[in-house]
Amino acid sequence: MGRRTVLQLIVVGALAGAFATAVALLIPWLGDPASREGERIDQLFWFTIWICVAVFAVVAAVLVVALLNFRVPLDDDRDGPPIHGNTKLEIIWTAVPAVLVTAISVFSAIVLAENGKASSPNPLHVNVYAQQFAWTFEYPEFKNVKLPTLFLEKGRSVKLTMRSRDVIHSFWVPEFRQKQDLLPDQDTTIWITPTKTGVFPVICTELCGLGHAAMRTQAQVFATPALFAAAMRKAANPPQQSGLQIFNAQGCAGCHTLTAAKATQKIGPNLDNLAGDAKRAGKPLAEFIHESIVSPAAYIEKSCADAMPKNYQELIPSAQLDALVAFLAKSGTKTEPRGCGE
Amino acid sequence: MTAVAEPQHGAVHETGGGPRGWRHLTAPGFLRAAWMMPLFWLFGLGVVLFFRWLADYEPLWDWEVITTVAFLTTMPFGFLAGIGAFDYWAGYVIGRPTPEEDHSSHGATSWRDYFRVNTDHKVIGVQYLATTFFFFVVGGLMAMLMRAELARPGLQETTPQGFNGYVTTHAALMIFLFIIPAFAGLANFVVPLMLGAPDMAFPRLNALSYWLLPIAGIMLLGSFFAPGGPPAAGWTNYVPLSETQPWGNIFFSMAVQWAGASSIMTALNFLVTIITMRAPGMTFWRMPLLVWANFTTSMLVVVATPFIAASQFFVMFDRVMHTHFFDPAGGGYVLGYQHIFWFYSHPAVYIMMLPGFGIVSEVVAVMARKPVFGYRLMALSLMAILVLGFSVWAHHMFVAGMAPWLRVPMMVTSMIIAVPTGIKIFSWLATMWDGRIRLRTPFLFVCGFISMFVLGGLSGIMLAAVPIDIHVSDTYFVVAHIHYVLFGGSVFTIFAGVYFWFPKMTGRMYDEKLGRLHFWLTFIGFNATFFPMHIIGDQGMPRRVSDYADRFANWNLFISISSFFLGASTLVFFYNVIKSWRSGPPAPANPWNALTLEWQVSSPPPVFNFDTIPQVVGGPYEYGIPGARHAVLEPERMHEVAPEEVRS
Repeated sequence: MGRRTVLQLIVVGALAGAFATAVALLIPWLGDPASREGERIDQLFWFTIWICVAVFAVVAAVLVVALLNFRVPLDDDRDGPPIHGNTKLEIIWTAVPAVLVTAISVFSAIVLAENGKASSPNPLHVNVYAQQFAWTFEYPEFKNVKLPTLFLEKGRSVKLTMRSRDVIHSFWVPEFRQKQDLLPDQDTTIWITPTKTGVFPVICTELCGLGHAAMRTQAQVFATPALFAAAMRKAANPPQQSGLQIFNAQGCAGCHTLTAAKATQKIGPNLDNLAGDAKRAGKPLAEFIHESIVSPAAYIEKSCADAMPKNYQELIPSAQLDALVAFLAKSGTKTEPRGCGE
Repeated sequence: MTAVAEPQHGAVHETGGGPRGWRHLTAPGFLRAAWMMPLFWLFGLGVVLFFRWLADYEPLWDWEVITTVAFLTTMPFGFLAGIGAFDYWAGYVIGRPTPEEDHSSHGATSWRDYFRVNTDHKVIGVQYLATTFFFFVVGGLMAMLMRAELARPGLQETTPQGFNGYVTTHAALMIFLFIIPAFAGLANFVVPLMLGAPDMAFPRLNALSYWLLPIAGIMLLGSFFAPGGPPAAGWTNYVPLSETQPWGNIFFSMAVQWAGASSIMTALNFLVTIITMRAPGMTFWRMPLLVWANFTTSMLVVVATPFIAASQFFVMFDRVMHTHFFDPAGGGYVLGYQHIFWFYSHPAVYIMMLPGFGIVSEVVAVMARKPVFGYRLMALSLMAILVLGFSVWAHHMFVAGMAPWLRVPMMVTSMIIAVPTGIKIFSWLATMWDGRIRLRTPFLFVCGFISMFVLGGLSGIMLAAVPIDIHVSDTYFVVAHIHYVLFGGSVFTIFAGVYFWFPKMTGRMYDEKLGRLHFWLTFIGFNATFFPMHIIGDQGMPRRVSDYADRFANWNLFISISSFFLGASTLVFFYNVIKSWRSGPPAPANPWNALTLEWQVSSPPPVFNFDTIPQVVGGPYEYGIPGARHAVLEPERMHEVAPEEVRS
């Protein structure tokens, strides 16, 4: 190999490496992690990325320089030199990748072990239940209170013990970087140690049917033990809320249209037409609404699917449920039946 | 297509003499299939009703069972019997004297011969490719529909169930009806020629394997007319979701059986052909790497494909026969499904990649005019991937809740498999190095393949690292990875292969300018579509959703526009293929000046490939050695090869 070719390889490799580095650094790939586990995963992520950038630069350099130097016109009829192999080279490109993947494996195994246990004293325990298409978080430490959103405390590790009530779901908070499937026939667990306060999305990542895309809730991290305890107390003994507030707090707007709440989703029936749908079902309006919330499968409009979560009886205290029913009966007054998108 | 009909074999084509009068209805063909299908359907119905009546089941008319048995099982058999796929065997079974083989079902003299049971491996290869590219277009249109929905947040064009249906059928068509059988089609055409064999070992089985494919494809498309719509549990069809889905899911389960049976029979055919029908002198270490690749792929198929068949049978039994393989309420084991499914579906990734590796080796050696670098290590690395491929399945299940101790061993094997794959990449680069590169369309696609497959491989390493996988699994990062591997990898090599052997298959040259245009449009469209998916996946967008958070709106709009561009780029390919096939310049026997056997016969090859058995005298890639030969054909064959093509 001549000096010129070596120089070409170095220049093209450096250019490709610089390009890949720019792509890696200029695009906000991950955002900031909000958990200790996430910080460890990000370290591993960037360690692997730099190895990938190097491999990409080498391959790009060889490919581009080969095309630049060894291309001939289509009507050229010469052959290249009859080189069948080179044992030294072949050993190098077997050994070097083997070393690199071993390094990544060792780093990964360490991070995995660290992320599989508590990172703070006095960890919190939460039981998580998933079902089509809703989440329930149960706190044994707070008299088994059940919440539709996940409340956490900054700096205090939490162990989520998770179970599905129907099909497979998956719990993911991108900012925490942790993910775990929920199975109907066995418990699964995951550890999270929040390092930032704020509200983060909880996303279902395992295709679970009709409402999969809408199966979202939130994780809220409180700054101090006092704030967390206060939030838990308040959640356990909720103050009286208006029907509209309950509608929004329970996430009804995730699937339904209701003009009074400025909700526009179309997965479930249009609630503006509740009066019409109740008439078609042959039931008094308030009774129809109550039944449709606590046991949604009892009556399903022909144009709809059995997609509504069936855990609202346990999630909504009965006083709130009455307020919600009253609010819906007052708002959904259109008398033509509509179901889902008729 | 094959202009070289061989009258001495006394071919009695139906299109020539043809049946008369009532014989039209009993002669093998679509007409016979048209009355045999309802007959077999009624038989299936009768079986169901009889046993349900016997066992006193209520209701007697259970349409879910009737659909499974009559529509999806017996009626396709009626179709196969009607077109004559079983005629020879059926005669043998009922004791008729074995008819003397008149080769009437062999070869093609008109386009009609492509629409009947044909035992010529070259005809079957073309049948495979035409069929699979049809399903490529259909699957691609479904992807466009998904991208139309995803162009903006919220639901606009589809319903949630409809969207999940497109997600599922797009993947199922592309995997089972395009990539896997397209490689089988290319290999069908090329492998017997490369071996110096007159045909595959079992030509009738080969014909049957092909005709199972349209059945599987029509079944998947037919699911759109099933009550409740198409299968919508993803191509992974995870339980328990799949067991609570509408009927369309049975269509998926059964289509996989038909496509899988086709795959297994073809693989057995390749194995027997490669082991027993190599020309004299063709030792294993003189086989072209495409043959090696299909040899390894076939072993993967034979061992792995029964596992997906089993997984889908169990799902179907749970639904139709109320067994409890995977039903937790009856003591079934939910994760068991995933273990069985991925024990096939990870090797399936290599089933979709190794034949492409073979194509790349052929194209690189021929177009760069150099022997494949480290030929033996290339073959051995295929075998290494074959063996390791069976030990990595659970890396699809790092977040599934399986036994935690399984994670690290599966990570290590998944990492190690990068080593033989790396060997192949570096060896191709070394083959190019110092060559005399003709930058024709197949070579462009090979360069595109190498660069894109390296990116797919690198994101694969990231996915193999358990903690990173925990963050990105089931996100758009995975969607990006799989398309870099299966589109940037497999589909680019399919295009390379189609361009490379187009002159051999059709006897015409393709248009080089259009080929290059196709490459660049596809390459740009591909990267613009799939690269940003890495970003939104990392940032928090899950896959298989019809709706997403507003902060991903800009990237998704960009991806959707790029995907329409990518879809449109294939129009150039189809235009080129159709135009060149009709009126391209005639192709010489050996337009690329290659050494392997398929280029030593006319383009297209004669019906029985070789008039005399070739004698293999050296390796397949001895470029750069003056006078080197891979094989010698008998002197009287030489006049059919244009003098300038004969390497002195």
